[in-house]
Amino acid sequence: MEPADEALSERVARRDEAAFELLVSRYQERAYRLAWSILRNADDARDVSQEAFIRLYEMAGSFRGRSKFSTWFYRILVNLCLDHKRKHKWWRLWVRDDDEERSETILDRQPAAVDDPVDKLSRQETMKALGSAIDRLAPRQRAAVLLRVQEDMATYDIARVLKCSEATVRVHLHRALATLKKTVEKR
Amino acid sequence: MARHPDDDLVPYLRGELPPAERERVARHLEECPDCKEDTEVLRDLLGNVAHAIGQPPAVNWARYRAELREKLDARRARTVWWRRPMPLTLSASLAGILLLVGVWGGHEISRNGEPIGPDEVVMGQELGLLQDLRTVERLDLLEDLEVLRNLDGLASEHQG
Repeated sequence: MEPADEALSERVARRDEAAFELLVSRYQERAYRLAWSILRNADDARDVSQEAFIRLYEMAGSFRGRSKFSTWFYRILVNLCLDHKRKHKWWRLWVRDDDEERSETILDRQPAAVDDPVDKLSRQETMKALGSAIDRLAPRQRAAVLLRVQEDMATYDIARVLKCSEATVRVHLHRALATLKKTVEKR
Repeated sequence: MARHPDDDLVPYLRGELPPAERERVARHLEECPDCKEDTEVLRDLLGNVAHAIGQPPAVNWARYRAELREKLDARRARTVWWRRPMPLTLSASLAGILLLVGVWGGHEISRNGEPIGPDEVVMGQELGLLQDLRTVERLDLLEDLEVLRNLDGLASEHQG
């Protein structure tokens, strides 16, 4: 049987390199994808997610097991992403972020569910507008939406990641989705 | 009609509300067509958000882990250099230098210390009592007023 994340984390605290490698392998894709979804830049996402693993290695001893390991790790990761966004807020205004063009949506890679090319185009445009609207959300709202949608996290866990109350998470989600809904309705 | 449960709709859709709250929201949705429609829109929206976000550019995971390993090693080297045990020769050299500095410093301090005045030297030579260590060790005698009064006499008796 595969060891649980929490058991691996305990071993990492004792500087077990194999346990660390295993945790990295388990979380690398999710960490990179979540960081990219928040930062929308592949290089930044790689750097920040790697930094999260370094913090995990350094701070494994402080994980007390009061929450799930994934919640604890995502808290480190999301905080690093939000810090990064805050620090690079003004820089990003001047540097063109071309990751959006390099990345492709799932819709781009899958055959359209509808045959009508007009419908297909309209749906693609809607998705593009929705993607842009997600990028424009306030960082914590965006993080809440991404944790819910990508990581399928419960409100309780999102609250622990974002260090706020469940009520605040509900408000974040409601406001974010209301904004996105308006974007879709405009089209 | 009760207030619209806007903030509760997403947790409701995920089925994470406690039974009483879930029941309250469900009852509200039966009575409020606007909220019912909102719930359906939110359900679609949550599904579409995952699609709209898209996928990040592909990563070579072996390279990713190798980079991570390099960064971790660099971080450890930077943060713990002062905790690492020093080679024996370096430790011995540092200890030797410290010893030399200590000896030289002590010598300098004694050289530059407060000079002893000539009257103090004469007094020290004239007071035979102070040259006798055994007497000095019994200084508690000096607390006795009678002994103090006859101190010179006692000294000459002792010498005789």
